[in-house]
Parts: sequence; C-alpha cells; structure tokens
Amino acid sequence: MTVLANGRERAGEDAAAQRDALSVERLSLAVGHGDAAVPLLADVTVRVGRGETVGLVGESGSGKSLTARSALGLLPRGARATGRVEVAGVDVLAADRRTLRELRRTRASMVFQDPRAALNPVRRIGDYLTEGLRARGTPARDAAARALDLLDRVGIRDPAGALRRYPHEFSGGMLQRVVIAGALSTEPDLLLADEPTTALDVTTQAEVIGLLRRMQRAHGTGMLFVTHDLDLAAAICDRVYVMYAGRVMEESAGASLFTAPAHPYTRGLLEAGPSVRGEKAAIRPIRGRPRALAEAPGGCSFRDRCPLAGDDCAEAVPAYRTHGASVVACLRPERVAP
Amino acid sequence: MTGNTPADTGGSAVADGAARPVLRVTSLVKRFGDVTAVDGVSFDLMPGASLGIVGESGSGKTTTARVLAGLERPTSGTVELDGRVVAGPEAGRPAARGGTRGRVPGGGARRDRLWRASRLQMIFQDPYGSLDPRQTVARSVAEPMRLHAPGPAAGRRARVRELLDQVGLSERAGGSLPRDLSGGQRQRAAIARALAVRPRVLLLDEAVAALDVSIQAQILTLLDGLRRDTGISYVFVSHDLAVVRHVTETAIVMRHGRVVERGGTERILREPRHPYTRLLLDSIPSPDWDLDRVARDRRALDRL
Ligand SMILES: Nc1ncnc2c1ncn2[C@@H]1O[C@H](COP(=O)(O)OP(=O)(O)OP(=O)(O)O)[C@@H](O)[C@H]1O
Ligand SMILES: Nc1ncnc2c1ncn2[C@@H]1O[C@H](COP(=O)(O)OP(=O)(O)OP(=O)(O)O)[C@@H](O)[C@H]1O
Ligand SMILES: [Mg+2]
Ligand SMILES: [Mg+2]
Repeated sequence: MTVLANGRERAGEDAAAQRDALSVERLSLAVGHGDAAVPLLADVTVRVGRGETVGLVGESGSGKSLTARSALGLLPRGARATGRVEVAGVDVLAADRRTLRELRRTRASMVFQDPRAALNPVRRIGDYLTEGLRARGTPARDAAARALDLLDRVGIRDPAGALRRYPHEFSGGMLQRVVIAGALSTEPDLLLADEPTTALDVTTQAEVIGLLRRMQRAHGTGMLFVTHDLDLAAAICDRVYVMYAGRVMEESAGASLFTAPAHPYTRGLLEAGPSVRGEKAAIRPIRGRPRALAEAPGGCSFRDRCPLAGDDCAEAVPAYRTHGASVVACLRPERVAP
Repeated sequence: MTGNTPADTGGSAVADGAARPVLRVTSLVKRFGDVTAVDGVSFDLMPGASLGIVGESGSGKTTTARVLAGLERPTSGTVELDGRVVAGPEAGRPAARGGTRGRVPGGGARRDRLWRASRLQMIFQDPYGSLDPRQTVARSVAEPMRLHAPGPAAGRRARVRELLDQVGLSERAGGSLPRDLSGGQRQRAAIARALAVRPRVLLLDEAVAALDVSIQAQILTLLDGLRRDTGISYVFVSHDLAVVRHVTETAIVMRHGRVVERGGTERILREPRHPYTRLLLDSIPSPDWDLDRVARDRRALDRL
C-alpha cells in the first residue's frame, strides 16, 4: 500500500520486511461482538526502519498507544485483530506466548510515560537492570558490570550506589533514565517509547531525549515515538504519522510537518498550539472535540470538525494519496496551505 | 540579576502611580520542615494584567499559588489583595492587636476567607478538585453564589445560565455530572464556578496542561475573551512557555524557590538574561534543536 512505499523502493518484499524494525500493515482492532462491537483501530499502517525514529502523534484517544502496544502483541482483552504486525521478522499476531515473551525480552522494548509503573517498588534497581541480561544467559558478574556501565552512560551519578537503591529514592527524571537503560540493555531492534517525557519538565525532557538518541544511534535501534507534542515529533523524527479517531490521517517527513501539512487536521493542530518562537501569532481552536473511532462519523472521521469538508467527504474513507512529502487521507490536500 | 522588588515587575503600568496593584506579594517565604519551597518571592499584579510563573518542577510555583489562595500560610512575607493584607504577620490576628491598616474589618477567620475568595479564585490542572463529583455542574457553579451573596434562587439560576453561556457550556452540560463531561468541558465548568463571585484575580495552576491541543486552544481563547471583557487579572502558572507567551504580558522565572528572572514575557523569551532561563528556552524542541547546547547550558548553570 502507498503509505509503505514512502522513502524507499520496495523491491524484494521479504528482504525489505526483514530490514524493518516494525511493520504494521492495515491493522484493525475491535472489542465486543455483534451489535456491541466497538472498533478501536481501522487500517493502521505504520513502518519503522532499522535505526529510524518515527513519530506517532495525535490527540487523546486517537489510537497511538493501542498501535504501539500491538507491536508487542499487547492487545486489549478480548480484542479481535486483522492485518499484520511484524517486528524484526516475527509475525506478532500469529506468535505464541513463548515467542512473544522472547520478543519482548530481546528484540523489542517499551518505555512508558510513568517510570514508576514500569518498576517493581520493592526491587532494587540493580535487579531490574540485570534480569533481562540474566534471562539471556549472561553470567551474574557480567550482567552486573553491564548494568553499572549502562547507569553510567545514562548519566546516573554513583552508579554502583544506584544499583542498590529502590525506585522511590529517585526523581521521576532519574528513574526514566534507569528505565531507558533497562529498555536498551538488550540492544533491541525496536524501542517503543509511549510519551516517555510527558511527565518530565522541559529541561529534563531535553536531557532524556538526548540520551535516547545517543543510545539509539549506538545500537541502531528503530524507535516508534508516541507523543501529542508536534514540536517534539518534528524535532526528532525522520517521519511522523498523524492519527485521528483510530486511523492514520497523514504520514509526513518530520521536517515538513510544520512547513507543509497535507491534512486539514494536521494544519488544525499546528494552528491551535501557541508557539514560543517567531512572531506571536493568533491561535485558532479546532471546533468540537477529539473522537474515538466508534463515535466518529462515517466517511472521513474528521469531517464534522473540518473547515474544508464537503458532501463528498461523507461518501467513503478517503484513500491515501501522495501530496508533496506526505501521504495523506484527504480529498483536497491542495487546499491545506500551511 | 534583576532584583526582587515589586517595582521591578517589568510591566509599564507599574510605573503609573495612579494605578494600584490588585495583588502585591512581598518577600514571600514558605518552608516545609527543612525544605524552603518559596524563598523571597515578590511581584505586583495590576488590574487587568496577566503574570506568568514558569520554572522547573519543584521550583515552588504551586506553593506560591497556594499561599496566594490562602491554602497555605506563608512562613514570612505578605500578600496584599485589593489593598488589604490577607496573609502575613498582620493577617488573621485577633482584631485586639488593632490599628493594622488594611486588615479585613470585622474579623473572624471565616469572614476573612470569604472576603479573599470573593476577590481571588484558583483553577487547578485537575478540575475534579473544584467540582463536587455528586453534584451537577450547574449546582457546583451556583454554590459559591449561595455562600457569598445569599438571595433569591431565581436570580441565581439566571446568573448560572449566564456563566455557563460565558464559558461555552450548553444547558445540557450544566445538568450533567462532572464525570459525564469531557476534560475540556470540566475545565470550562471549573472556570464558570470560579467566575461566579466575580473575582478580581484568577490564579491558574497548569490549568490547560492536561487538555488536548485543540481543546487547550478553546480554553485559552475563552481566557483571552474573559480578560478583555471583564478586566480580570491572571496569575498563570505553567511549565509551557508557549502557552505563557500567549496568555501573559509579564512573567517571573523561578528556580529553587527564588525568582531568577522577571520582566516582559516577550523580552524574557527573546533575550533571556539568567543562565537558567537560557537553559529553559534551549530545551524547547524546535527544528534546529541543539541538544549539545542544552548540555552546555546545564554545565554553565551547575558552575553558578
Ligand atoms: N482495553 C481497551 N478496551 C476498550 N477500549 C479501549 C481499550 N484501550 C483503549 N481503548 C480505546 O481506544 C481508543 C484509543 O486509545 P489509545 O490508548 O490508543 O489512545 P491514545 O492515542 O494513546 O490516547 P492518549 O493520548 O490519551 O494516551 C480510546 O478511545 C480508548 O478509550
Ligand atoms: N506539603 C508539602 N510538604 C513538604 N514539602 C512540600 C510540600 N509541598 C511542596 N513541597 C516541596 O516544595 C518544593 C516546591 O514544590 P511545588 O509543588 O511548589 O513546585 P512546582 O514548581 O509547582 O513544581 P511542578 O512543576 O512539579 O508542579 C518541592 O521541593 C516540594 O517537594
Ligand atoms: Mg496513549
Ligand atoms: Mg506545581
């Protein structure tokens, strides 16, 4: 499908898929049955190449976390999925529990917004950092040495002391560094970062991002970076997917997100947020409120909030088309001036 | 460094001797045990003005706001609201001490609280904090009026309708419980409730931080309009410099409980003077984001 073709020729389909850290193809998710069925995601296609940083942006409820978690086979209870999810060559939706456990332990890691939720409060940091390595058969002493080195590299002072401490003895920013160290300790192919800096203040965020980038580069890890902060996504991502109501509305090169938005929703988000640089410009709210897929209108999900919508937008979900540096699901991207 | 004197707030209106600040904070200190959360904060807020408080996590922004709202007692320093000392050594003491100029006349802790609440209201990040989960939004909005201006219920109902309309909530939303509304609607309801007593100052602590950007823009636009139409003043606490730029004309930058920089918001953003402000600005993501520079800023600050 077109969204996948962006940026690279797809000559040998299999070879290309192997090179990708993550490939989500036309993923649809629903919970419940019959009349009570609730659709959550529709036809989501997202790709992360090796070593690439890819953003997933959109307002709350747009399906960012569902998409990211699907890469680890973490689907809502009772959810039915169609489409394909592949991580480093593993068919995630078809995989058994052992394969998934192995995948999460070695090939794909996840970092969440709240580091405290990821850590067991009564276990020492050292145990947390060595467990992944021990599980892969690394001897205890080597694992400890590696944990020490990791803490040092993520900028924790007195790493030896830190190994013996408990999560509550660290600030949120320091703890997120520990979690990042743990997530990258196995040198995974894919890092799923779900709002990893949202709870941090802006200076700490910058430091944690710098750290993520350094470690990611060192290991060639592909990163799917989930955020609602468009500035942040544009600053660090090679490509960005903009989600709304359980669908991908636009895929854009990170740099052109601001200069040439192709979807009215992307432009709406840009105009709604005040800016700290340049001339002070008026903000323009998007009317209405964000919707989940189940409550979105038929046809284009955004049409009830869209200033450019016409009757034709109700007929069908707009097919993806290429416009400038974007692939966009809109009938009239040429009218979306920045 | 810029001084901590109230006269140095950077707003041009301050120099105008005719106008009197609606809020004057002088050398405010708040300690919790060994922790000095607020360490000598001073500023003036003029009628109709909007002042931002920015700074890193733990720098004392919320504590400052809570002292202003009367939710905490200052360790030292004073808060003057509408010409009267409402917090500090001269406030809340028995009237027998006498002669204290500007004390709320009549005495009584409850009366002091009501007097303060009728002039200054606070909005939190989580609107659940100011809305009763078991009451309809309309009742929550009416409640401060019952407290402050007992009168006929019909008049109150009309005023509630007016307030809900002012913040863009339908009558249906007014009849709903808070949990049945979206985050943006709840924040509108909290604002309507705060406005019910026609306060002169609105204190907003990360009031739009939890909202989606499209909803945040709606609330910011609402706040712009309210200030333009009513001449209310804002103290706007936020870690988001872009939002602070939009809402305020002057700002203070806090670090470790102290004001490290103050002045016009635009000036602070264009020509930051304190190394911490510089770090703050360089930390904001942008297309030419230089993370090495952030690291250099951090080292420069640590050397201070
Ligand atoms: N386990 C579940 N069962 C049913 N619905 C769910 C489940 N998990 C998520 N949803 C719904 O799916 C939609 C997308 O949720 P998701 O968590 O992916 O949003 P998001 O984009 O990550 O939002 P946020 O920015 O708030 O984190 C939401 O409407 C949510 O309520
Ligand atoms: N009730 C309290 N008891 C003890 N310490 C407190 C209390 N309230 C605040 N503090 C401390 O005072 C300092 C300032 O906290 P405050 O909440 O004012 O910071 P802030 O600038 O609002 O931070 P944030 O951006 O994270 O909201 C912190 O060190 C905090 O731990
Ligand atoms: Mg999420
Ligand atoms: Mg605070």
